[in-house]
Amino acid sequence: VKLGDWPVLRQLTGPDHFGRGAAVASPTTRGLEARVASADKVVKSVCPYCAVGCAQNVYVKGDDVIQIEGDPDSPVSRGRLCPKGSASLQLTTRDNRQSRVLYRRPNAGDWEPLDLDTAMHMVADRVIAARRDGWQWEQDGKRTRRTMGLASLGGATLDNEENYLIKKLFTALGIVQVENQARICHSSTVVALGTSFGRGGSTTFPADLQNSDCIVIQGSNMAESHPVAYQWIAEAKARGAAVIHVDPRFSRTSALADLFVPLRAGTDIAFLGGIINHVLTEHKYFRDYVQAYTNASTIVDDRFEDTEDLDGVFSGLKPEKRTYDPTTWGYKGMAVNSASGQRDADYEKVAGGAHSAGSGGPGLRGTPERDETLEHPRCVFQILKRHYARYTPEVVADICGVPVETFTRVCDLITANSNPDRTTSFVYAVGWTQHTVGVQYIRTASILQLLLGNIGRPGGGIEAMRGHASIQGSSDIPTLFDLLPGYIPMPHAHHHEDLDAFLAADSAERGYWAKMDAYVVSLLKAWWGPAATPDNGFCFDYLPRITGSHSTYDTVVEQLEGRCKGYFLMGENPAVGSANSRMQRKGMANLDWLVVRDFALIESATWWKDGPEIETGEMTTDGIGTEVFFFPAAAHTEKAGSFTNTQRMLQWHHQAVEPKGDCRSDLWFVYHLGRIIRDKLAASTDDIDRPVLDLTWDYPTSGPADDPSAEAVLAEINGWDHTGRLVSSYEELKPDGSTSCGCWIYSGVYADGVNQAARRKPYLQQDWMAKEWGWAWPANRRILYNRASADPAGQPWSERKALLWWNEDQGQWAGHDVPDFPPGKRPDYVPPEGARGIDGLSGAEPFIMQADGRGWLYAPAGLVDGPLPTHYEPQDSPFDNPLYAHDRNPARRIMPRPENLLQPSGSEPGSDVFPFVLTTYRLTEHFTSGGMSRWAPYLSELQPELAVEVSPELAAERGLVNAGWATIVSARGAIEARVLVTDRMTPLTVRGRRMHQIGMPYHFGPNGLATGDAVNTLTSASLDPNAHIQEVKALAVDVVPGRRPRGPALLDLISSYQQRAGVTVSTGTSI
Amino acid sequence: MPTKEQVLQMLRSGDSYEAAARRLGIPAGLAYMIATGIPADYSDSLGPDDYGREGLQLGGTQALLGVPNQPDAHPEVAAWIRGRASGDDQMQDAAATRPNQEGDK
Repeated sequence: VKLGDWPVLRQLTGPDHFGRGAAVASPTTRGLEARVASADKVVKSVCPYCAVGCAQNVYVKGDDVIQIEGDPDSPVSRGRLCPKGSASLQLTTRDNRQSRVLYRRPNAGDWEPLDLDTAMHMVADRVIAARRDGWQWEQDGKRTRRTMGLASLGGATLDNEENYLIKKLFTALGIVQVENQARICHSSTVVALGTSFGRGGSTTFPADLQNSDCIVIQGSNMAESHPVAYQWIAEAKARGAAVIHVDPRFSRTSALADLFVPLRAGTDIAFLGGIINHVLTEHKYFRDYVQAYTNASTIVDDRFEDTEDLDGVFSGLKPEKRTYDPTTWGYKGMAVNSASGQRDADYEKVAGGAHSAGSGGPGLRGTPERDETLEHPRCVFQILKRHYARYTPEVVADICGVPVETFTRVCDLITANSNPDRTTSFVYAVGWTQHTVGVQYIRTASILQLLLGNIGRPGGGIEAMRGHASIQGSSDIPTLFDLLPGYIPMPHAHHHEDLDAFLAADSAERGYWAKMDAYVVSLLKAWWGPAATPDNGFCFDYLPRITGSHSTYDTVVEQLEGRCKGYFLMGENPAVGSANSRMQRKGMANLDWLVVRDFALIESATWWKDGPEIETGEMTTDGIGTEVFFFPAAAHTEKAGSFTNTQRMLQWHHQAVEPKGDCRSDLWFVYHLGRIIRDKLAASTDDIDRPVLDLTWDYPTSGPADDPSAEAVLAEINGWDHTGRLVSSYEELKPDGSTSCGCWIYSGVYADGVNQAARRKPYLQQDWMAKEWGWAWPANRRILYNRASADPAGQPWSERKALLWWNEDQGQWAGHDVPDFPPGKRPDYVPPEGARGIDGLSGAEPFIMQADGRGWLYAPAGLVDGPLPTHYEPQDSPFDNPLYAHDRNPARRIMPRPENLLQPSGSEPGSDVFPFVLTTYRLTEHFTSGGMSRWAPYLSELQPELAVEVSPELAAERGLVNAGWATIVSARGAIEARVLVTDRMTPLTVRGRRMHQIGMPYHFGPNGLATGDAVNTLTSASLDPNAHIQEVKALAVDVVPGRRPRGPALLDLISSYQQRAGVTVSTGTSI
Repeated sequence: MPTKEQVLQMLRSGDSYEAAARRLGIPAGLAYMIATGIPADYSDSLGPDDYGREGLQLGGTQALLGVPNQPDAHPEVAAWIRGRASGDDQMQDAAATRPNQEGDK
């Protein structure tokens, strides 16, 4: 050792006398070099985890990614990354990532290697066979042209281009059971926001929250689940905004809020309904806005009867079918989808047709009657007042457990910050969406924001915080059963439904949805090119038909029934992430074959050898005949493509390196699978093969693995005209076949032949809208319905909240955002008699996707469980509904079967066996079902195992010890978790009694580095009828100290609970 | 190696960092580093006093390091699209017979 190596000597003799710098650096430290320093290049990318869309710089040396950091130029993230994003280097480079194809033969006990090419051909053969086995030319005498033999799940973590090819290929193959995580996370968002405003995406963007005067975060733990986006709330708070957090559980979001309001999970409609009642009775609504821009004045059909008239149900309930006939809910003088009379089945009522309101409200025809005084007893405003009159502060306290004084403070903060000078915004996530009334949760907030005049204005709006990098994109370019790209509905199997009948039934008379013919025909041209001609209805007949719901939960039933025999999982892990995970695994055990594409051997890939049912003896490995293919997936750094983030903005991520081994992008997989299938069927003359053989499937390829060009796919999505010029807007699309467009709402993303999603002009060189960073649908608008930021005469409601205004000199709308309105339409424009399309709306009707141009306080169409949100209890609840005779949503979708047992609720005998309310949530360090986080060492070290949060009071009551074990039981299953005793769980007084809630993160499973039982073992497939989203945010359970039994004894425990509670297949099924 | 004053002088005379770097024979990112003392790749953070530094650019300095921040050109995609459009007879016929040619280019 040299004398000079002594830190003290260096400190005393050198310039660093206080030992705060160079003097105390060891030789090892001095030898360290930042990983970025040795990089050969920096590649622009986007974080692949949640939907905030933080920009990343990927540092590459040779063939390897050596570091990933936040991009400081991004207007979304300003250089920040959360723990997951910061650890995304490990996502791509960790040792435990699979890089070879694996194959499990039927009944075999282990994997074996398989070469990629052979595997691709084997899968193609199985697709062809399963497709043919499950083929249906018709059902009940109606043409379906489809196969029920196979299904797919996955897309929210994939690129838009990958989703597009999945939907395109699988639709051409006749597969209707195509789904992704969007069903499970935010399908209710699309329905609710779409029905309320005309589009199913967030009305605003997180950075605009900095302009809010009050922010209500409810059903979201934004500071932990979307921490980088939370910076904008911090900005707002620094400017003086009031921040309110309403949630069952105290979290970091609560800690940063001005007011935390704990409430009982599953009661948000009562809470928000109480605020609506306050706003109406205290005359706090923005009258001019409400009068001009909402349907408050519209007269409702005389036959409509409200829950106030019928003790908890609306007119039209068909109890035997659990559905409503919505005929009486319409406007007086207007018809809903009057169409051609050819809608001869109730498929839409089961399918919940409102998902197609994602970019265009329901079709209405005729002219509504209005009373501008808002006094008519049958006008929407008066119906609304009557409907919410019983939601008093005392009722809110009784149902939600929120004291009157706390509730009143919330009302005061919101109303004081909602007027021409001030705006309030709402932020939510899956705490609202995942309920049997999830759509109506969001509808309640939509009604409130319309009453307060907070839609379309800076600092206002409703921000849906989505949780996957492209879950918005996988809704827009839907790997969803009920949608075609751009929220065009999948056609149902009706008699004689050709293209004209389809358009007549689903398009609107006024607004932009009236141009549906151009969007549909251009889509058919994109998919079938020269084969699509007017003579064959542009190949409309090639589209398979749906007959009700084919959601991912219906697919599981199809698997259990033996009709669905093949299954693709692409970046999705239902054995952990979907409700009732035992049912999910049992469904997969009934398949002929399963394809899993992922980074690691997730639980959905290995359940046949190490799943919980193997341990209990319910299944044996050698008794499971499912053939399993595992394909390793490429990471975001190994492929180019676009994600659509939570603010509807597409951002392009560039390829940094080639994937290693057998790792391939999903674009590669789907493209080559389609190519191989087409080769194998090339000689076929069978009509069932024409759609796939006529498919346009000729993308340019490059690179060592023949990767298809994602740029080309995005260009096809954008659309072009007959000269090959890329269209710049959906306004250029034609219904005559002269244009092609894969997703009309994305028209413009490749305008001028330039990938607009790849734009990255630094945010400091732009205004706060940052419109030259990425590209947002529609038409690069950042705040939707922004015409409403100006008064009917076209001037801002206030200077402080100016966003858009009419410039008389220029004869057009001007402002900070792209106008969400025809740019030259004067504010005093009055449509001539009989005007159609966008010309049919006046210059003061801002909701241009709605057939009446208004924001919908009352939904006359589009929803299947009622035009107004009403409080119902969750499917499994310890409480009765004090408001009505009906405890639960009478139209909820349930699947009563032995694998999906429901529980007694409220005062029903046996309900007390499950006395506690469980809510599930996300951790900062983990991601959904864990496939992208539980194998990462950094993240696993930070959150190593499953825990259950209980209050000190409940811990004392049940003998639970901090860091000890607890067993949590429902009618579906039992799991164990470490106990976390914490004041974060607040006991509440509900219906006069003490009520305990427990919280559990849902990420864990037995595989990977961070392990635990799957919380979805406890949940049931009980669904919102509009969106088919499952209720996993509020259910009733029991919790006891100690670990759960092992082996068959676990089944005995579950069975004993079922017996004590008297659970049968019919339990919990009453209307 | 050029001095800070040399770089700043060129900036004062209207040169961009790219132009100054070319004339000085150094990379543009290095010219920025010399002039401001701040790395162009944002690998250091700015203190409150740093915002007054002469030559400081707010945002976009990554481009001085050759990190692309705008879309690439893809002529092969354009060629492929033209092939798809021209090979679709119905599309061509529809465009030719459409009564309103407004918007066609």
